[in-house]
Amino acid sequence: MSDGNGNGTRGGVSDFDTPRPEDVRITTGSSQTDRVLGGGFPANSINIIMGEPGTGKTVFAEQLVFHNANGDRPILYLTTLSEPLTKVVRYLQRFDFFDPEKLGTEVIYDEVGTELAEEGVEALVPKVRERIKAIGPQIIVIDSFKALHDIAPSMAHMRRVVHDLAGLLTAYNTTAFLIGEYPESQPATLPEFVVADGIVELLRHSEGVRDERFFRVRKLRGSSFRQGMHALELSKSGVQVYRRLVSPAEPPDYTVKRQRVETGVTGLDDMLGGGLWRGTTTLLAGPTGAGKTTIGLQFVLDGVRRGEPGLYLHLEENPTQLASLIESFGGDPTDERLHTLYFSPVELQIDRFIDTVFGLIRNQGVRRIVLDAVGDLVTAAPDTQRLHDYLYALSQHFAVNGVTAMMTFETARPGITGVYRIDAPFSHLSDNIVLLEVRLDEDQSRRRVRILKTRGSRHDPVVREIRISEKGIEVVKSK
Amino acid sequence: MNGASSAGGRALILVVERDPHVRELEAYFLEEAGFDVEFADDGEAAMQRAFDLKPEIVITEILVPKLDGLALCRRLKESDELDGVRVLIFSILAAAGRAREAGADAFLVKPLAEHTLVETVRRLIREDGANRRGGAE
Repeated sequence: MSDGNGNGTRGGVSDFDTPRPEDVRITTGSSQTDRVLGGGFPANSINIIMGEPGTGKTVFAEQLVFHNANGDRPILYLTTLSEPLTKVVRYLQRFDFFDPEKLGTEVIYDEVGTELAEEGVEALVPKVRERIKAIGPQIIVIDSFKALHDIAPSMAHMRRVVHDLAGLLTAYNTTAFLIGEYPESQPATLPEFVVADGIVELLRHSEGVRDERFFRVRKLRGSSFRQGMHALELSKSGVQVYRRLVSPAEPPDYTVKRQRVETGVTGLDDMLGGGLWRGTTTLLAGPTGAGKTTIGLQFVLDGVRRGEPGLYLHLEENPTQLASLIESFGGDPTDERLHTLYFSPVELQIDRFIDTVFGLIRNQGVRRIVLDAVGDLVTAAPDTQRLHDYLYALSQHFAVNGVTAMMTFETARPGITGVYRIDAPFSHLSDNIVLLEVRLDEDQSRRRVRILKTRGSRHDPVVREIRISEKGIEVVKSK
Repeated sequence: MNGASSAGGRALILVVERDPHVRELEAYFLEEAGFDVEFADDGEAAMQRAFDLKPEIVITEILVPKLDGLALCRRLKESDELDGVRVLIFSILAAAGRAREAGADAFLVKPLAEHTLVETVRRLIREDGANRRGGAE
């Protein structure tokens, strides 16, 4: 953030250098949030951090403040008429990013509440100007800005103050953040919304007994940003944002990855025309007890034996049960190429889940993934449209990255007609559909496999018997 | 150079600027750094004030009325009477190339960064002193 003159930000580019102010960014202290913002807040901008009480606005701002406190120029945190300064600072100490060494030197808390109460809203701009002259802050936070409306005698009055403040903040080499308890429905007609270069919103939505938090960029002048609602978590570390999953910028190119991936299930590859195409997603559907988990595990373990790191995501089997299953199929649960991840469907946060999966693909080179079971995701996700969009984007990312995936889905048992219905809302997103069936005869259960669809490949149309043993599943050869 | 200093020996800077916030901050930081500051609201007034005050440095925005900052710079540089006046263009416009073509000695883009502004002004004054010593030898 320094231009080498102890000034940070764009102001003061000299000696005829051509400035590129849009390149200088202020980090939020969270890499994912920065990526949503196209790299962070553009320097020398005026930004609004809005959200209803309790959404994490102050934590968001303080995290940003402490991450930018680099000993270069101080940062000013100015409280107005909402929470008392002592309360703000006391609460701040609970977070990991808080550094008492920086307090009073690199991060300067000040309050203007007394002047505002005595002199009215006009006291704000002189106070900010005086602080600029005295300490030259690289960042100025005003918390709460919305509270100023409560003491302004009229909107016209407030408009003049905002205009004056914007003039001052634009004249000086600083980046400003105005925090306010503006509701989500707040129309952007308030004067501060008009002068703001950036508006970010922290949201909390209730769904049943669960609350979900989100981060959204409403406006970011002079910068691209990732649109939509991004999941947000508040913890001792501060604010963590998980970027909304979108389809890859480059569409999948099937021509460069014409490579078959064997499933590890004897006989199934022959039915699939030689295995699955690398980078495809296969829906493995069937009723309970049909063998979905077994085939999924065989698929991942076969990859591990071939040196391909694999990931088994499970929402049903607990980790102990899964380790036992892996061992029974000849796998080693401690193999470093085998990744298993358990998510409780009760507390599942879809964005964090997706973020974790991508981290493993990126960092561990995972090439085979099984998601067991996708139906649990449907149950866990409060917003099924969001889940649908995510699964589509996820399959596109798999294709681009050459990751071959299986998603299991539990179907109901067939009715009297014996016809299975695949009513998974995303079956059309799968490249291949493998249907497992269970027929309950009087003295035994007979399992069968049927290939319903293989994209870009011929497949065996015949329904075939499968056998489950302690070594796994195999397709029974025709006599 | 015939640049004037005030009675206290402080170099005089003429600032051509209309924005009241920039004016106030510019005056504050330059005076804090030991300079005297005078203002003009537009290019024509600046030309007249330059003749009257003989400042060491003229700092001008490009976007000023009557005579824009670039045209002002050319005229200042063409004037025999103001021979050697140093011009710093300090603008909201990223117009470093145009400033150079107009003969400016330095260019800074807004917003105001006090350390860079003061350091640039000091450098121009040092260079001016060196030029004069060089010319006298």
